Amino acid sequence: MVEFRNVSMSYERGHDVLKDISFKLPPGSMHFLTGPSGAGKTSLLKLMYLARRPTRGEIMMFGRDVAKSAREDLPKLRRRIGVVFQDFRLLDHMTAVENVALPLRIAGGSGAHINEHVEELLAWVGLKDKMTAYPSTLSGGEKQRVAIARAVIRRPDILLADEPTGNVDPEMAERLMYLFVELNKLGTTTVIATHDNGLVEKFGSARLHLVSGKLLHLEGTPNGEGSI
Amino acid sequence: MTAPFDFLPNEKKREATKLLPWVMAIMVYLSALAATGSLLLHSGFDDWASSLQGRVTVQITGEDPDIMSAQSDEIQDTLRATPGVSSVRPLNDQEIRTLLEPWLGAGNITDDLPIPIMIDVETNEDVYVNLEALESKIKQISDSVYLDDHARWLNDFYQLAYTVESTGAGILIMILLASVCIIIFGTKSSMSEHKSTIEIMHLMGAHDQMIARAYQNRFMKYGLKGGIIGLVLSFITVYGFLILIQNLSGGFVETPTLPYLKMSILLMFPLIFAALAMITARITVMRELGRMV
Repeated sequence: MVEFRNVSMSYERGHDVLKDISFKLPPGSMHFLTGPSGAGKTSLLKLMYLARRPTRGEIMMFGRDVAKSAREDLPKLRRRIGVVFQDFRLLDHMTAVENVALPLRIAGGSGAHINEHVEELLAWVGLKDKMTAYPSTLSGGEKQRVAIARAVIRRPDILLADEPTGNVDPEMAERLMYLFVELNKLGTTTVIATHDNGLVEKFGSARLHLVSGKLLHLEGTPNGEGSI
Repeated sequence: MTAPFDFLPNEKKREATKLLPWVMAIMVYLSALAATGSLLLHSGFDDWASSLQGRVTVQITGEDPDIMSAQSDEIQDTLRATPGVSSVRPLNDQEIRTLLEPWLGAGNITDDLPIPIMIDVETNEDVYVNLEALESKIKQISDSVYLDDHARWLNDFYQLAYTVESTGAGILIMILLASVCIIIFGTKSSMSEHKSTIEIMHLMGAHDQMIARAYQNRFMKYGLKGGIIGLVLSFITVYGFLILIQNLSGGFVETPTLPYLKMSILLMFPLIFAALAMITARITVMRELGRMV
């Protein structure tokens, strides 16, 4: 369960980029986060992946108000969240395999089984031949897929993706979306920020729509999930 | 507690801290030279001071050599009869000329030059000799007799030694403080250079300790590497100086002897700097990370 209660956020004494946001995402639900550029989609995701704290309001995740959680408790919570960043944010000095293995290494994993697992996932996203490639040698779409593999490698409880299909061809975009759907079916609560209305219509999941920092409406909830 | 994981880019790649081992080498080099200088002076002061302790010089001046000689004999008898005096030896003409040569120049000491009689007196360390009383006693034999126990000179000498050693310690402390500042600057520069890497680690759930550990280990290696280089260079420099002094002096000035046992503390310098770098880097990283959410 992810629940926002009257959440507002501003950057360093600026005006509110998110204004009095309230919604509930049931466990295992899948939502698209839509809205025009500058509407606050990335800011909302930042709150959800615990990169920032809200200026006001409560954010209930993993059964607690993470907005007020102690700083030392946050790393453990962050490990339960997978994030696909809009700008990929791969580490340039690490190979594709090393980048994808990062969340496992951070969680204290080591050894051959990590690489085996990582290579399997990279092969699944079509990067079997790019395992040892560095990000600087990968195309935008390939970087995107490495970033997605890194986000899902630990089967997170919550998966947040910021324009995850923005740099891939339609065929790969659909394939990646099916990966998200599969993960969602395994119980991962998924939120995908996108501009791609075609994708939203095709997958027909619930939709959080932001305009100028306000959550205007929640629509397309075929399973009755999600509510404002 | 997670396993050690160095997520930072390789040292050979371009980064703000790649010159840090060399800066540390210079710091250790300067520290080792300052410490060696202090130890050498300390050792030299000790040798000189101990050679003067328990020694008294009696000087008899006058114009008539015969009278001076008679007074010398009488004074020597008095000195030998004094409890606690273990040896009384008048310096011969040649010894006195050797002492005067550095001031007057070789060949400038002529026979008509009034040269005082000098008597070297050694006292027994176990028996107290009242030098004031002894001086009064021998002054009854001649008004022109002076007893010098080197006390005033030794006091000035100790004061100089203390000042030199304090200055050496002060220089060491300043170098350590400068090193701390450089490490803080280097750590912050490196963190700034790898900001996106640190952010990603942070957002993927890395604890501050994990990030700090990567930095502290790296900076410890910089300190150790630089420390060893600096120490080796300082040893080469010190030996170079000693050889130079030996060659220049031609035996006139005694070549300082290195106090090897005391100097073994210098071997700790690379470890001290490695520990300093490690602790400083850790504190800096933890403080910087503490500003993040």
